[in-house]
Amino acid sequence: MKKEIRIGVIGAGRMGRIHTQNLLKMQEVEVKAIADPRVEDTKKWASSFEITDIRSEWRSVLDDPEIDAVVVTAPTKFHFEIIKAAATKGKHIFTEKPLSHDLESTKELLHFLEGKNVKIQVGFNRRFDHNYRKVKDLIVSDEIGEIHIIKTTTRDPDLPDIEFVKNSGGIFFDFFIHDFDYIRFIANSEVEEVYAGGSVLWDPKMQEAGDYDTAFVSLKMKSGALGIINASRKAIYGYDQRVEVFGSKGNILTSNDRETNVEVKTKDGIVIDKPLQDFQHRYIDSFLEELHDFVKCIIEDKMPSAKPKDGYEAILIAEAAKISTQFNKPVFIDNLR
Amino acid sequence: MINVISKVKVGIIGMGRIGKIHAENILKEIPEAEVVSIADIEVNKAKELASKWDIKKIFADPREIINDPKIDAVVICAPTNTHSDLIIESAKAGKHIFCEKPIDFDLNRIKTALKVVEEAGVKLQIGFNRRFDHNFKKIHQLVESDQLGNVHIINITSRDPDLPSMEYLRSSGGIFMDMTIHDFDMARYLANDEVEEIYAAGSVLIDPKVKEIGDYDTAISILKFKNGATCIIDNSRKAVYGYDQRIEVFGSKGSATAYNDTPTNVIVSKENAVCMDKPLYFFLERYKESFVQEMKDFINCVIRDEKPIVSGIDGFKAALIASFALKSAKERKPIKITDESI
Repeated sequence: MKKEIRIGVIGAGRMGRIHTQNLLKMQEVEVKAIADPRVEDTKKWASSFEITDIRSEWRSVLDDPEIDAVVVTAPTKFHFEIIKAAATKGKHIFTEKPLSHDLESTKELLHFLEGKNVKIQVGFNRRFDHNYRKVKDLIVSDEIGEIHIIKTTTRDPDLPDIEFVKNSGGIFFDFFIHDFDYIRFIANSEVEEVYAGGSVLWDPKMQEAGDYDTAFVSLKMKSGALGIINASRKAIYGYDQRVEVFGSKGNILTSNDRETNVEVKTKDGIVIDKPLQDFQHRYIDSFLEELHDFVKCIIEDKMPSAKPKDGYEAILIAEAAKISTQFNKPVFIDNLR
Repeated sequence: MINVISKVKVGIIGMGRIGKIHAENILKEIPEAEVVSIADIEVNKAKELASKWDIKKIFADPREIINDPKIDAVVICAPTNTHSDLIIESAKAGKHIFCEKPIDFDLNRIKTALKVVEEAGVKLQIGFNRRFDHNFKKIHQLVESDQLGNVHIINITSRDPDLPSMEYLRSSGGIFMDMTIHDFDMARYLANDEVEEIYAAGSVLIDPKVKEIGDYDTAISILKFKNGATCIIDNSRKAVYGYDQRIEVFGSKGSATAYNDTPTNVIVSKENAVCMDKPLYFFLERYKESFVQEMKDFINCVIRDEKPIVSGIDGFKAALIASFALKSAKERKPIKITDESI
């Protein structure tokens, strides 16, 4: 049986492999080719899934007329070139966040993509997470009325490799970007003003890399709602991911997902499981859901949830946050457009 | 040392909502102290209360209490704009002082009052009752005993159940001085450090009338401490589900979270939902025990000649942060906390 959609994966790193395995679960999808300069490694990994078409050069994937769509999981600095080329060749595009590596290239990319007749989705997977999606649904059904305060907590289980940090674009581009998108997604309002700050409390190497390991971003929305994000690159007890939305009719609070719900009670106290250890475990379902939605958008000719415009807006907020820390003052988003 | 057989003789100035609580707590919960006299401008109302409690001396003028040689300590619960003068007069008369927060809206007046207190050598405790709350006290102990390691992030959620009257709001000193001031004190207490810089943002989302009087009903305050820790406070004047009071301290060794106290812990599971109690309605219910504890502690400090947990300096620092918070929100920029010396 011929599959409805044939997909090429560009970049077989950590995310590329997660997405590939999820694509293989979809009956309507065939993973036609994978491009990665580490051909031998990739071949070895892909052989167990019977994917044989492994190429070193991503452009050749775009030249393949049988391929309908590409999943872009190459390093962020290549996104701009790959996405432009893919759109030109008429391929639908699912790209990992961030859309591009800086504000200027993102802006240019956004203009370039205007009017291109392909589906483009940005990998803001939290929109598809079971908890975070329910929060959105409750807001849409007006369960808590007008939104007044949005608080998100986002803490990684451990510091990343310092080399990763140097190439990450900084904590606001790499880490907060999900929170920026999610807050826009649920607030029904654009961000007006951004104030951000950070500290280095875990490892002085972070400072040498020009980054923070502990930071906050305060957002003032056009609606008057206030947003506040707190983040740490390391939480000793695991991956801490929570959101709270306070509105005129009530409050919504999520907790961390845990491996089990077993409580152990002893003379010292009551112990429960730590949060799931990292993003691969915590967001495993959302990665499948977001990609499946992308495939459905192609088949049913629908608009994806997280569009290039959303990718651009998130980067705009990240840029504002970065500038805010440099000058230690709030930044009006519209001044950066 | 005061003769342990004689009780600490207390006079209460101001018989509003909080004055009544303190009077009742001393009468019912603190055998080491007695309420000898009370003063309130509305002397008839005070008389009514006093007869219920068998308090003999009722005055319209607080000076009758302050100048009574039999009185050991005064509890000041009169309107904020009278606090500084009452503190000064009480200190000069050699009385120990428990004063409700804020000490004053005017920082210079606070400084003057604290100087007089220092010279007189009397005790002064400010009514930051939340330091005595069972949940928050435990978090403080966890920080002090290094179970959480270095403090990195403090999250404080503090939301009232309903908007107070406009009349109250007009004389409240604004959301930061009236409401967030408790959170500012808690942040300093838990961080065990001083605030270097503040950024505050406010909105009016509940009632446009709040804007007319130049106040906010929804606010976020971000405190940067000298040690690099950050405290984030979110406030709302109205949470439809009740008084929402939670704290999380995140440190290098772990995190501690205090949830809301509820009237019962019963969970009801039905066809469409699993329900539990809302938080205790407001501060009278939620912090009932902490009001007793803070007064017990104050009386103890008087008896044993110890330093109160909440000092006049703490009262000044919280008011200082509150005044900078308002400035930050109005000017829409972060502000360094200066004038810390006192």
